[in-house]
Amino acid sequence: MDPLVDAALQQLMSSVAQVLLGKGEEVRLALCCLLAGGHLLIEDRPGMGKSTLAEALARGSALDFKRVSFTSDLLPADLTGINVFDARTAEFRFQPGPLFSQVLLADEINRASARTQSALLEAMAVGRVSVDGTSHLLPQPFFVIATQNSMDQVGTSPLPEAQLDRFLMRISLGFPSRDAERALLAEGALDVSMLGACIDPVGLQEWQRRCQQQHCSEKLIGYALDLVVASRRGAHGLSPRASQGLIAAAKAWSLLQGRDHVRIDDVQSVFPAVAEHRLDAGVPGGAEQPLSQVLLRSVDALP
Amino acid sequence: MTHIVLLVQCLGLNLSAPLSWPTWVLVICSMLKRRESRRAVDYRLVALLQLLSTGLLAAQMEGLLASGLQLITVILALSGLLAHELGGVVSWAALLRRSLQLLLAALPLALVLFLFVPRVAPLWSTDLGPRGGAVSGLSPEMDPLSIGQLARSDAPAARVTLDEEERLNSNSYWRVLVHEQFDGRSWRHEDPPFPPRSGRGGPLSAGPSQWWRVEPSAIRMVPWDGAAQPVSTDQWISSEGELLMASSPRRPRSYRLQQGLSSVGWQQQQPQPRDRALPLPPDHLPRLQALGRTWRDQPKDVDRLAAAEAWFRSQPFRYSLAPGAFVDLDAFLFDQQVGFCGHYAGALAALMRAADVPSRVVSGYQGGRLVRPLGGSPYLDLRQSDAHAWVEVWLTGQGWKRVDPTRWAGSGQPSDPSIDAVVSAQAGPVPWWRWLQLQWWGLDLAWTRWWLGFDQATQAAWLQALFGEQLRWAGLVAVVLAAIAVGVGLMLSRGGWPGFHRDPLQRSLRLLKRFGVKAMPGESFPALCRRAGGLRPELALEFQAMAEAQQQLDHALLGRRQRQYQRKLWRQSRARLMVSASRSGRSARS
Repeated sequence: MDPLVDAALQQLMSSVAQVLLGKGEEVRLALCCLLAGGHLLIEDRPGMGKSTLAEALARGSALDFKRVSFTSDLLPADLTGINVFDARTAEFRFQPGPLFSQVLLADEINRASARTQSALLEAMAVGRVSVDGTSHLLPQPFFVIATQNSMDQVGTSPLPEAQLDRFLMRISLGFPSRDAERALLAEGALDVSMLGACIDPVGLQEWQRRCQQQHCSEKLIGYALDLVVASRRGAHGLSPRASQGLIAAAKAWSLLQGRDHVRIDDVQSVFPAVAEHRLDAGVPGGAEQPLSQVLLRSVDALP
Repeated sequence: MTHIVLLVQCLGLNLSAPLSWPTWVLVICSMLKRRESRRAVDYRLVALLQLLSTGLLAAQMEGLLASGLQLITVILALSGLLAHELGGVVSWAALLRRSLQLLLAALPLALVLFLFVPRVAPLWSTDLGPRGGAVSGLSPEMDPLSIGQLARSDAPAARVTLDEEERLNSNSYWRVLVHEQFDGRSWRHEDPPFPPRSGRGGPLSAGPSQWWRVEPSAIRMVPWDGAAQPVSTDQWISSEGELLMASSPRRPRSYRLQQGLSSVGWQQQQPQPRDRALPLPPDHLPRLQALGRTWRDQPKDVDRLAAAEAWFRSQPFRYSLAPGAFVDLDAFLFDQQVGFCGHYAGALAALMRAADVPSRVVSGYQGGRLVRPLGGSPYLDLRQSDAHAWVEVWLTGQGWKRVDPTRWAGSGQPSDPSIDAVVSAQAGPVPWWRWLQLQWWGLDLAWTRWWLGFDQATQAAWLQALFGEQLRWAGLVAVVLAAIAVGVGLMLSRGGWPGFHRDPLQRSLRLLKRFGVKAMPGESFPALCRRAGGLRPELALEFQAMAEAQQQLDHALLGRRQRQYQRKLWRQSRARLMVSASRSGRSARS
């Protein structure tokens, strides 16, 4: 492993963590999601630092960042862009919407209509947008961070299960610890706009490529399969896309640990973030303890 | 430590043996190599040298003591090797256990090799022993005084065990040398030529066996009872009735004789002219010659012998091991009349020749002590003090017949002193060290008999019995057993017993169980080790190291060298943890 690039990754992680005080684990998961090439769903109350996290990740990796606040009257075209008539050339010209960015923060995605939501998720899945019969490729890397208000908020429509499956991870930031909040109040956190780039987009893509090459042993694959099979005994089993995502996330996690191979610990670390939103059908907090934890405990991790 | 044991064994080697010098050189080389060893390869080489020299020693030294020392050497060498391979910080008990495990794994293969590999005759029966060196024992030129000195020494001579206990007769005569050359003063033995090669060795029959173990001696002749047949190809019986070996036993030597064969050809062997003649001028030993000639009047040689016996019994002979200066046979017979077996036998043989009866002197051992050791079967212990000389005369129609004039001479006294001595020695108390020695010899003989005695002939007989017509089933069973033995050996060396985990994870889990740490549902191994480290903070780093190595082995993509390295790391941390586990286990018990 190239120690210099590794140091860059570490630096990115630590500087994002400086912006988001006391949230090291969540920052790591978010970065892991970015490296794995998946999209991230952050679910929390307003004012917990969701947008800050997205912006910090974008700035830290020198990516083009756009933000869209989803409202109930937002139309798909507002996202993708439209063909406008250019009077000078007498031609229609494609005016790209905010979707054409490298990091898109889709704020409060559950406030938008199902139609708009699905337009975004289509774009996330295939990496291109069709407007009036013409396909437009989205820039690479393309990373969507969607935030979602908790279900008890008024005026929201939950994401359908099929859409949820397109997010690699769902994390929740949660309240900061007392110490972290004290530091925030006393000294204030680092301002997002002050954050410098730690790696460039090309470097990031290189890391994404390397991430795919992480070694998975037979035992590890077996363990991941055990988990997935165990989940299918319940109401909402994990899809093959989920199991692929699980391995991809575990690979990214192991890379962040500075290793060249994936271990069961890595799978266990990313499993709640990868699996929980697929297991509870987007309704968190239903059971007494997270379903993913129950699953982890039911599968023997000592093969 | 291994070298000390090796050196002790080397001291037992005789330097004139062809193989002893290479052995010394090997041992010294391995010691020097040990001093300069720094790398793993060097240590392995040292262990290999040690094992090699042990093998060489085993080829030269048999017997229970030597075998025991060789076993200790092998175990020590293996432990040393293991200690290095495992990283050095392992308890002695664990090392010994591992070495024994290794030996155990090799045992089935060794057994199969031992039972089935053919004994190639020249290799297997070659005496690798030394060719020179002085040892005590009977001498080829029998000076009557020498046997007296010999009879006063208590050194061991030979031990024999028989299959039938009742034949262990402490009153038997064990022939060694035949002296047929008389020069007027002493009786000489003539070394017989080597027989033709085809004449050596006898076919093995089902008769009982005698197992001999003789101490070193200067002569090629070894004791026997005059009736048994040698089994080994380097032993044969001369026409005079001597049991010969290809070379004199310069170190304790074991051999086996086949009993119960009726062909005792030497007894019917016609006397040579030299057995008849008394090559003396008439003025030499005149009184002896005159007395002998008076018996020539008797027509039959039996009567001449009877006359001689009557004459001996009529004279006031006294038995003494210290009869004073020996002048000649005339003086002994007619003036001093004090002497021991050598004198009587020499005198009678000379008298019989003067009376024209073919005769010769035989020296060997008579009597012996019957020992019933706690371990092993009873045996007869012959010592140099049991050395004896007697006469054989040729009687027409009977062949060579044993005559012991020492018994006639003692007729005036209560009994023969030499017999008396044997009886009292058997009855009297035995000093503790002698008792220990006798017990040891019993074990030694049993060892020789059951282990080293498995020679070509025995193997052939055994295989014949196994694969013979009637015992086909037994042969099949033996083959199956051998196959199972080989399989078990392979399994032990590869995968271990079923239930005996070679997998690092399972073995680590067992170790953690000893610390009282059991996996919780869904807990991964590193998490388990972290938890164990939380319980025993002083060992946290060791636990972490073990987990790391195990995870590398399990999940990482490793080359062969890397895998070996990680396995070594894992073994080392596990071994260190084992030591602290047993230590804490002990302290918990106490």
